[in-house]
Amino acid sequence: MIRNFTSVTKHYDKSNTFNAYIIVENTVTSFVPLDEANTDYQAIQQWISEGNTVIDNGE
Amino acid sequence: MAIDKITTAAITDGTITSSDLASGAVPNQSAFKNIIINGDMSIAQRGTSVSSITGSGYNTVDRFRTNMGTAGTWTQSQSTDVPTGQGFATSLKMDCTTANGSLSAGSFLIIDQRVEGQNLQYLKKGTSSAESTTMSFWVKSAKTGTYVAVLQDMDNSRSISKSYTISSANTWEKKTVTFPGDTTGAFGNDNAASLKVQFWLVAGTTYSSGTLQTSWGTTTNANYAVGQVNLADSTSNEWYVTGVQLEAGTSASDFEFLPVDINKKRCERYFFKNAGNSHIGYAPSIGDNYRHETYYYPQEMRASPTITVTWDDQGSGTGTPGMQYIATQTADIYTNMGNTTNIVAFSTVQGDAEL
Repeated sequence: MIRNFTSVTKHYDKSNTFNAYIIVENTVTSFVPLDEANTDYQAIQQWISEGNTVIDNGE
Repeated sequence: MAIDKITTAAITDGTITSSDLASGAVPNQSAFKNIIINGDMSIAQRGTSVSSITGSGYNTVDRFRTNMGTAGTWTQSQSTDVPTGQGFATSLKMDCTTANGSLSAGSFLIIDQRVEGQNLQYLKKGTSSAESTTMSFWVKSAKTGTYVAVLQDMDNSRSISKSYTISSANTWEKKTVTFPGDTTGAFGNDNAASLKVQFWLVAGTTYSSGTLQTSWGTTTNANYAVGQVNLADSTSNEWYVTGVQLEAGTSASDFEFLPVDINKKRCERYFFKNAGNSHIGYAPSIGDNYRHETYYYPQEMRASPTITVTWDDQGSGTGTPGMQYIATQTADIYTNMGNTTNIVAFSTVQGDAEL
């Protein structure tokens, strides 16, 4: 089932490495690690495959 | 052998062996025999009641997921309505608050639990020695009739369905269904979801127009829940369940009660939420504007969890939150305070590695 994310943004750590997604869903903000076993990560990949765009504000 | 024939002498002389026992005479009594986690519905970290449910997700009782589409509106709660004299203190309750008496073809409402494949290897699925499994549970509903329980093999797209009947309205009844072993399709030996254990409550024709698939076979949507009553057809409808146990073998043994600390630890492999204001992440400056806190989860998690943090900076600065890393045992949570003096307090930290 496609999730209804309000937004998905790339998160960069202090070393400017992309290491997580920041999702906003039902007004709640969470950090999703780049772990293929994480079901939120899986949902983001499906959400992207449906043509949605991840916000990338750069390092 | 009749029970009154078992004497001390008969036991001490060593003449009773396992071959003397009929199959199923001694049910599986091993520790952690229950494949289901939190089957007594005692752990509810997310909360004890959620209303206005129209879609899928985890709501109240740990490990039990609601899957729903076009099936009315529901309130789910951790209830204290339980079968008398069975030792249970809590149940999972589904209460219909907006009915749907004219289901769409694709309507569905399912309560399920998903199980990691590495916890199922002893069932020997996909081999000639595949084990049967038996599910027992207590259930109560305002609506009598036929309900369907399903095992779904997520690794091999196979499933098996068994129906059960709720005979008396608003009365606790114990149900037992046995599923034969499946000699086709092994479960993956990993931390992914291999098995869904499903309680169907609503099924549109997409899921009910065929023939109930009572033997293991390739999943066919139309064969999932044939005969399932529409529990969404009235706001008078409620459904309770507790004492859910799935175990190897062809008979149901007594429910395996676990100490609350063990039960909660098992749940925390998939989800944790600390008590509000219980964790203060004081992190002194190390010469820059960042404050770090290595947060140790209460339990190693199934996978790196999704982290949700609520925090307050204890000063005039406005922190910018971030994660230096998120692993299966710890996360490095930081915030940029914009100065070297203010401290930060994390009021709640939540991790979600559910299946």
